[in-house]
Amino acid sequence: MVLVWEKMLSSLTCCCRSIRKRVTGKLVPKASPAVYGERQGTPWTGRQSIARQHRALLNMNTVLSRANSLFAFSLSVMAALTFGCFVTTAFKDRRVPVDIHVSKVMLKNVDDFTGPRERSDLGFITFDLFLYLSAEYATKSNSLNQVVLWDRIVLRGDNTKLNLRDMKSKYFFFDDGNGLRANKNITLTLSWNVVPNAGILPLVAGSGHMSLPFPDQYEATKSY
Amino acid sequence: MLSIFKSIPTHMDYKGQKLAEQIFQGIILISAVIGFVYGLLIQQFGWTVYIVLAGFAVSCLLTLPPWPIYRRNPLPWQPVVAEPSGEPIQKPQDNTKRKKHK
Repeated sequence: MVLVWEKMLSSLTCCCRSIRKRVTGKLVPKASPAVYGERQGTPWTGRQSIARQHRALLNMNTVLSRANSLFAFSLSVMAALTFGCFVTTAFKDRRVPVDIHVSKVMLKNVDDFTGPRERSDLGFITFDLFLYLSAEYATKSNSLNQVVLWDRIVLRGDNTKLNLRDMKSKYFFFDDGNGLRANKNITLTLSWNVVPNAGILPLVAGSGHMSLPFPDQYEATKSY
Repeated sequence: MLSIFKSIPTHMDYKGQKLAEQIFQGIILISAVIGFVYGLLIQQFGWTVYIVLAGFAVSCLLTLPPWPIYRRNPLPWQPVVAEPSGEPIQKPQDNTKRKKHK
């Protein structure tokens, strides 16, 4: 690192010689080839060096400067490691077979359904998973609607086999208009967000999904 | 209280500084490689970070305090000359001479 800087400075001084010649019109005396081991520079110039000995100029005489260079070096090394970690895990395929069954549909308020069974694979860098179940359907006014019915956060260290049964939908399944009644085809899909330690945030859809038709009539409110 | 800290000698000679830089760079690089491989094996990045931090602590311990191995090549200073009374007069003359040189 210091060697590169010194090469840049020496090339700059060579440029300066040619500029001086053009400006003054005189021949500028070329520096005679230095004797090996001769000390160049004076205590008043910024740099001192020993001629023809390629030596990196260290400035680590105090504890603080040593600590500074040590810390900066380890931080750069850590950044390189994080990049390597991103490279090794960002391109893994994260599709997992998902099994969804729907047990009962009540159009008025809630959907009860036996939840998905899933085996997830947390890699080198994943920190946690963000799961959500969405339903897609088509209506007359809009060709595609996606509604999120339920979500859950899975942290690192929880058991990775999720077996969720009889989950109720967390959010209401609203539709603008009356598109849900007698809708022939509603597709429920489980997908998730993988939150990584380092890298991009992929959005993966589970490979299982299930379609079901909704009933024709609204449920009447039960009176007790 | 600061005088205590200032009186602790913390200097190393030049060869010692170069040796110290090589030592800590080597230790941190080795610990980074070991940590990366180990983290890749057990699929947890946290262990990589722990191993690199351990390497950082070890190299701190080895290079920050001025151990005697860093002081094996001291600079050869001139021996102290007994100062005659004419010494302070000579100094400004020296300065002007050097300015002309520049």
